[in-house]
Amino acid sequence: MPLLGAARRKQQTDPPADASGFADIVLPDQDGVDHRIGDYWRDRPAALIWLRHYG
Amino acid sequence: MQLQRAHDELERAGEVVLIGQATPRHAAHFRRRVELEFPILADSKRETYRAAGAKIATATELVGPKMLAKGVQESRRYGVVQGRTIGHPAQLGGTLVVDMDGKVVWSRMSEDASDNATPEEIIAALERASGAS
Repeated sequence: MPLLGAARRKQQTDPPADASGFADIVLPDQDGVDHRIGDYWRDRPAALIWLRHYG
Repeated sequence: MQLQRAHDELERAGEVVLIGQATPRHAAHFRRRVELEFPILADSKRETYRAAGAKIATATELVGPKMLAKGVQESRRYGVVQGRTIGHPAQLGGTLVVDMDGKVVWSRMSEDASDNATPEEIIAALERASGAS
């Protein structure tokens, strides 16, 4: 097992051209309330920020 | 946390949502600990990380000298010390800005553990997206 689950080979990031790959995913927030991700940019542009971890 | 210091400007520019690994309980604890006002979604399966094109770091991308130096610098500047890691320790994150048509108009997916979009970059991308919509 590599250190900290690290990749053995360098990977490339691969941001999508559109958000269709995750727009319909529903995730709970910090209070356990479900949100469909695509709803965030329905009325205004949205910044989605993926955290590395909660540490 | 750098993002929280720009909370009002970010909120004016657009919707801002954070996505983290693990559970809502972990998200709530993290949010309290770093005094964040933004919502955090809990993606314990890391499904959206894959869909956003985030990568798994190599050991060098995770704990190299550049990353350690930035960690020390941010701890001094913001007084936040990294706690116990929750989630896949080598999972990197990143930022996408999406316009109202669902198009990704700006992206900065992390190339290593020290590579994060600044609030200024995110605000500028949101403002451009507002102007273009």
